[in-house]
Amino acid sequence: MNNENPNFGWRYTLVPVLKKELTEAWRDKRALLTAVCFALLFPAMMTAMMLFTVKEKVQKEPQVAILGGERAPYLANLLRKGKVELTEHKGADDRAGDHEQAKALLQQGNKVVVLVEEGFADAYMNQRAPRLYLYRDGGDSGSGAAVRRVRSQLAQGRQLVTAQRLTAQGVSPGSISPWQVQERDISTPSARSGLILRALPGLLILGLFVGSLATSVDTSAGERERLSLETLLLQPLAGWQLVLAKSVAVASLGWFGASLSIIALACMMPLMPLTELGMQHALTVQGILNVLLLLAPIALLVAVLQILLALRSQSFKDAQTQLSIFQILPVVLLTGIDVAQVELAEAWQLVPLLGQQQWLKAALVGEPLNLALVAAGTLVTLAIAGLAIVAGGHALRREALLSNC
Amino acid sequence: MQRTACLLLLLVSLVAKAAEPVPERCFLDGWSQPLQCYRLQVGESVSGAELAVFVAPALEQNGLDPVFLLAGGPGQAASDLTPILPALSKVNRQRDLVMVDRRGAGHSGAFACEEFQGSVVADLDETVRLLGQCRKGKDNLVGQLNSRTTVEDLEQVRSQLGYERIALWGGSWGTRTALLYQQWYPASISALVLDGVAPIDSKIFLAAEAAQAALDKLASDCAGDPQCAALGNWQAQLLQLIADWESGGPTLKVIAGQPPIAVTSLHLQQTVRTALYAPEAAVMLPFSIAEAARGNYLPLQGLMQAVSGMMDSVSLGLMFSVACAESVPRIREEEIVSNGRNSFIGEAFTRTYTRGCEVWPVPARDYPQLSPQSHPVLFISGAGDPITPPVDLARSFAYLENKQQLVVQAGAHINTTRGCVPELIERFLDAPQETLDASCVAEIDLPPFMLSEFGFALNEVNQVVVSAGGADEQEAEND
Repeated sequence: MNNENPNFGWRYTLVPVLKKELTEAWRDKRALLTAVCFALLFPAMMTAMMLFTVKEKVQKEPQVAILGGERAPYLANLLRKGKVELTEHKGADDRAGDHEQAKALLQQGNKVVVLVEEGFADAYMNQRAPRLYLYRDGGDSGSGAAVRRVRSQLAQGRQLVTAQRLTAQGVSPGSISPWQVQERDISTPSARSGLILRALPGLLILGLFVGSLATSVDTSAGERERLSLETLLLQPLAGWQLVLAKSVAVASLGWFGASLSIIALACMMPLMPLTELGMQHALTVQGILNVLLLLAPIALLVAVLQILLALRSQSFKDAQTQLSIFQILPVVLLTGIDVAQVELAEAWQLVPLLGQQQWLKAALVGEPLNLALVAAGTLVTLAIAGLAIVAGGHALRREALLSNC
Repeated sequence: MQRTACLLLLLVSLVAKAAEPVPERCFLDGWSQPLQCYRLQVGESVSGAELAVFVAPALEQNGLDPVFLLAGGPGQAASDLTPILPALSKVNRQRDLVMVDRRGAGHSGAFACEEFQGSVVADLDETVRLLGQCRKGKDNLVGQLNSRTTVEDLEQVRSQLGYERIALWGGSWGTRTALLYQQWYPASISALVLDGVAPIDSKIFLAAEAAQAALDKLASDCAGDPQCAALGNWQAQLLQLIADWESGGPTLKVIAGQPPIAVTSLHLQQTVRTALYAPEAAVMLPFSIAEAARGNYLPLQGLMQAVSGMMDSVSLGLMFSVACAESVPRIREEEIVSNGRNSFIGEAFTRTYTRGCEVWPVPARDYPQLSPQSHPVLFISGAGDPITPPVDLARSFAYLENKQQLVVQAGAHINTTRGCVPELIERFLDAPQETLDASCVAEIDLPPFMLSEFGFALNEVNQVVVSAGGADEQEAEND
């Protein structure tokens, strides 16, 4: 093939090829649609999930049955006031019958069945601690919340009885509290919304991979199979220029997808009932701009690696498979680090992906960034991308990557 | 010349904006969330003070007026109002809640009268002697403690924090402060929520009739419950015990962890009156009194222990400084006699203040002539409140245009935390011009009456506890 022609400055060669690559990348409607769909998918899912959680938490009154409530009308009334949908059932004639009926009631859609044992009132008056049975199905998702409500109502009743019994013995009810526990929650409402936003950096990075996957395969392995890559290589331009142009075009799509995600999320945030959960909307315009800036270098690196990997593959199909695996790996790694709550030393922020994950997390909840580290980490990312581009260029020129054709 | 003044004013206001105070993060007992805390300088340099200000910031900063919480007493600190914050947490999503410890209270230099701490003084002469000791050498401080200064301070805090208009929540004596604030700075206020109402012209320390009315209300509730009715005529027994213990009653352990002392009729009267502040304590009165009449003093001792700690957080120095300047001078001798004539507490409660004020010299202060106001006002009252009973809106608040009242039939003193009242407060603040549908207030029940050693009966069906007891004991500190 041709060697580099010194008469052509990079401006005259790079710009046209960049234009061509960008046009081709953005003309591929299917690739664009994939990027957009994925970008919108998870903000929508996040919003839906939160709405669902809050609805569960705030509105829904769980079905609760009390069996044998006539043995202690006070308890039935106490539960009725407790934000549960209460049905009352007469107790059976014998002990075994009671328990059979309790199980049957649980089958009928009640989250909790409260069984007041026979002789409850007598035992209570003799201060012999009669039994209340709470029947529940621990495998049922709503039973935990229902049990908590029942318990909290019963606790109110117990507090009242305890106060009266202690007073009757000449003791202040306060004396059974040997100490008081004062809880101090040092989190801020915006940091609490970080709990929800925690998965976001990983998802944004995954968005980069997904958004640029189709285009990167098409522009490399695709062009190779269509034999149009060879034509390109005949042009008087350096190999690195070609790889760079392709990378920028591919990265632009990935970056667009991830940007769309974060913007969609910001738009949906007002729909999220964050305050119901004691949280605060933390995304600001500045925060979003920071996120977009932080994503750009890593988008380029991802694109380069995807292109090189696709060029190394045997075929178009093989490239798709390899890249699909390639996009999972970093996300698994990042999620793993997050879930295992591994505390990383600051120097780890110099590693591409790891650094971006940490910065995105901070930027999303409006926490301050260590600018020196961000600059250093970004430089490392760009340097690796640059090296990869140069290496890719050399490989292309040596036709090493075309040998499979 | 005028232009220069204008420019100067502009410059000053710009500087003032720039110098907006920066909060520190801090916590108060009873509230697990972080607060923004300030120490703000108020007043002129000589008569100035540094006030502790606590802000529970709104989750959504949407510019709605904040709510300033004004505490009772006078002598309670706003920072002691944390027990009501959980009830106002929904309000807090949209609005800052601001607690300003007034001069002489809480974290703004509590004027506490250590002389009274950790003991129950149920002897008027002893009370007066200790008060005299506490008052010594405090002329300068005493002179600063009054409603006018408090409102001026609050107004400065409001402007320093950059709020244009504020809503007020007042509890007990705090309602008086709120009503005065409304008179003096109507433009600074958007709405008022007043719980346990002390009208500006009411004589709040003339409380024997109100205490008796609360006891009568309890008696009629008890009579409506067959099992409580079976306890007999405990009201008559109470009067008999008071008469019998005039010359000394049984020896009881009135404070946990301290040796027993011989109680007096004043102990008994104070215990009954204080228990009436909180329904959870009040429902124990019939049984405790009936038992005492039979010679079993244990339940009464339990009640005495329970109420003994209630006054601990009140700054008595602040309380007497304000009461002796603004309220007590307006009480006439014949009023004390007639007010106490048919009450179990007699003249004892009021005399504590009139006698106390004899050793607590402070110039009398008058309240302003009431001028008509149009802010929306929500009044909240408990039918069984022994100190600030439900008010006759037409008579006491003819000067207010826009008012409505919630009366909690099963309630006593302070009802902000009970049943649906928190939601009604939230709705009122959101749409203060609308009339609230207050039917849910009727669903608030009295706790069941104590009937025996085992507590209340389980076949009590109409009476259910509506809120946990802990918070109520705190609130009962207000006067």
